[in-house]
Amino acid sequence: MNPIFKEAAAHVDNQVIRDWKARGKKVIGHTCSHVPEEIITAAGMMPYRLRGIESETTSIGDTYFGPFICSCPKAILQKAGEGAYKFLDGAVMVQSCDSMRRLDECWRAANEDYPGILPGFWHYLGVPHKAVDYSLKWFSQEIELFKTHIEEHFGVEITEEKLLEAVALYNETRDLLKELDEIRAMEETPLSGQEAMDIVLAGTALPKQVYNPLLKETLAELKTRKTHHGGKKRILLGGSVVDDPSLISVIEGEGAVVVADTVCFGSRSFEGLVPEDSPIMLTIAGRYLHHQFCPRMFGYYKDRMGLILQKIKQANVDGVILQNIRFCDLHGSENGLFERELESMGIPVIRLEREYGAMADEGRLRMRIGAFLESVSVGNIEKPAA
Amino acid sequence: MRKEYTEYPFDWTLHSLFTAASKANDGTKKEYDRIMSRIGDMKELADFVFGLGEAGALFMKGFSQYTEAITTAHQSGKKLALTTFCQSPAIFWAMDVVPIVLEPMTVLGNLVRKGGTSEYMDFCVEAGFTETSCSSQRGALGAYLYGLAEKPDFVAIDTGGICDTNANSFTFAASYMNIPFYQINYPPTLTDKRAADYHRSDYRNFIRFLEEQTGNKLDEDRLRVIMKEIEVQDDLICELQELQRLRPNPVPVIFNLFIYALRFTMAGQEPCTTMLKACLDHAKANAARGLSGLSTVEEKSRALFVYIDHYATNVPMWTFLDRMGISHLGCILTKFYQEGAFYANGGGYHLDSANLDTMIDTLAEQNSRLPMVKQIRGPYDAPDMWLEEALYLKDSMNADFAVYSGTPGCRNTWGMVKLFAKKLEDAGLPTLVINADAFDERVESWEATQHRFEEFLELRRLL
Repeated sequence: MNPIFKEAAAHVDNQVIRDWKARGKKVIGHTCSHVPEEIITAAGMMPYRLRGIESETTSIGDTYFGPFICSCPKAILQKAGEGAYKFLDGAVMVQSCDSMRRLDECWRAANEDYPGILPGFWHYLGVPHKAVDYSLKWFSQEIELFKTHIEEHFGVEITEEKLLEAVALYNETRDLLKELDEIRAMEETPLSGQEAMDIVLAGTALPKQVYNPLLKETLAELKTRKTHHGGKKRILLGGSVVDDPSLISVIEGEGAVVVADTVCFGSRSFEGLVPEDSPIMLTIAGRYLHHQFCPRMFGYYKDRMGLILQKIKQANVDGVILQNIRFCDLHGSENGLFERELESMGIPVIRLEREYGAMADEGRLRMRIGAFLESVSVGNIEKPAA
Repeated sequence: MRKEYTEYPFDWTLHSLFTAASKANDGTKKEYDRIMSRIGDMKELADFVFGLGEAGALFMKGFSQYTEAITTAHQSGKKLALTTFCQSPAIFWAMDVVPIVLEPMTVLGNLVRKGGTSEYMDFCVEAGFTETSCSSQRGALGAYLYGLAEKPDFVAIDTGGICDTNANSFTFAASYMNIPFYQINYPPTLTDKRAADYHRSDYRNFIRFLEEQTGNKLDEDRLRVIMKEIEVQDDLICELQELQRLRPNPVPVIFNLFIYALRFTMAGQEPCTTMLKACLDHAKANAARGLSGLSTVEEKSRALFVYIDHYATNVPMWTFLDRMGISHLGCILTKFYQEGAFYANGGGYHLDSANLDTMIDTLAEQNSRLPMVKQIRGPYDAPDMWLEEALYLKDSMNADFAVYSGTPGCRNTWGMVKLFAKKLEDAGLPTLVINADAFDERVESWEATQHRFEEFLELRRLL
């Protein structure tokens, strides 16, 4: 595994970002997979997906957010309050889910008590909750406004040519990550779920211009790798945000291998390409709005169930672990529906509710996951039609 | 679910209770007492509500009629839509669809049954909900998921972009019951052209969905009749809210519940209008005599509820306010943003019944300004949003203090309520944030909530 990936996956800051900043280049943070990163890249900046990893407390987050809120945005605010995100030149707040959208107000309020933690560029991006013609039109206008705001704030020009280059770059990333998914799904998978997650997470914290060549090298290395994880129980991990490898390490520590996932930050984030076509804003909007794998897109349960079934079949999965961060009712309740339907097909499933972060409740989860894995048999389920 | 909860249908039980209670008031005192001995869980509510004269009686009758419409819809060939309180039900009535408005159904269940709807809430969790999901839907929804009520034919809501836990409950219900689903979705802004265009397109798409589900075209004349009725209701509500600005406030505390409960379920329907008229007559009579709407007569303090109220069995919050001499200045649920509302400030909807197109545009505008849809769709401190409204109401209603009452399921407001409360305090409005669940007393008993409320009143010297 490339050490750059390891570092980028495990830490908020990394050497590539430090080098990028040393060259006078900008970094724009954001909070959701519905943010069209192509716009930021076309502006010559680096998009960075915000995480709350390495938080040892949420004391700052708890000061501004109420008590019944997912610990993920609280942990992000914690890092911001501690100054870990001072390398950001801008941030995009997204109307993604109700907990995350309030990071906007809480971060701004925290800036009054911790001056200087708010990046100079601040943008609120609306994202519709459905994909139909008028929502697509609205969202393409919203992206246009986002582009204009960047141009005006930073004094840069985002040309159509640069946008097309960025689209091609991101499509390449998605193709490469799909290849990674295929390698993961192989019968004698050469990499652990933890390694796969490190590779994917690194992509959220590195410029794609740096990431893609490294990813190509890694894929080539994986194809010739001798070691494998054959014979282990093959698990699909689904549900809400998993942005550090600790949960997967617990699952794999109990003797399984995570061969597929549908988690936020994971494989679902690179589903679908942007058609390299015009009008460019509409095609970008189309890709991000038809990206319906988060339950914030209401009414697309069957599509999401379809994705799970497709991955179960593709990766020859033995059991499914569905998890959600506490207070994430979107994933938590939909996991209830998935559980019901998967169990009716004879597919072993467990639902877990947990806190965000470095396994605050590791002992409890280890026990539940261990017990679940004991009940899962290798190669025993009839694979569903995707 | 415990067996006794599964013996009778939930909707039918509510209908029986409200019908019996509303008839009780028509008879002699002896007959009233006799009936109340049979529906004992609801006696305190009935005494309090009937104590307010005709308005109270019409509230009871209104819900008897509403629940009758639900329980007999399929028999009379009508479709049933599962929907939410911040979706105007007018369009359903106009298309001969009976709306099952979940949150008022939860409230009704809570008001009249000992233990409220907790068994149904728990069934939702059994069915797959997270236990942290909003109790306002889970209360009644559990009965529907269990099959203890007339099965809805489809789900139609308007909380996409407004409230995740709300929209999530309904999308869950549609998948669980395998029935069609439609969500109206809102952008984070309200008054710009892009938002208005979005509202209109989405509402038209919604009507197409309703036409598909019912097999009927939206009838212009029928819709106009309902819109005209809404116009009358709007005027009545605006006048009542003007009266609430008086000191003392002549509007009885529980009239706030009357206003929104029937408006959420029977907008554009005659029972709602009749009851609103009776409420207005009652309040006007008080105002003419310079009286408050409180049974204690003296208005000691004025409370602005900035979110929702509290709905435990036998309405203890309302009787508490009444007893303490605290008048209720309304909550987010009483704000409909009609053009004539004093708080609309030019941002209210204009009711235009000239033709089908203008009426649909009106409905789209109206829907986009309904409680919660209007206030919490964008950042709380953005133009047109929650803070702006609360600060305006503070001054225009002479509020002495504010109360946030909600549910732990409300991710959206709990995400920023501390900041919101601080801004209100900075503006000189003492603000109480209640940590209870407005629909589920198991989270915190009303007695504990009341204790905190009293402590707040005492510490801030508000009485």
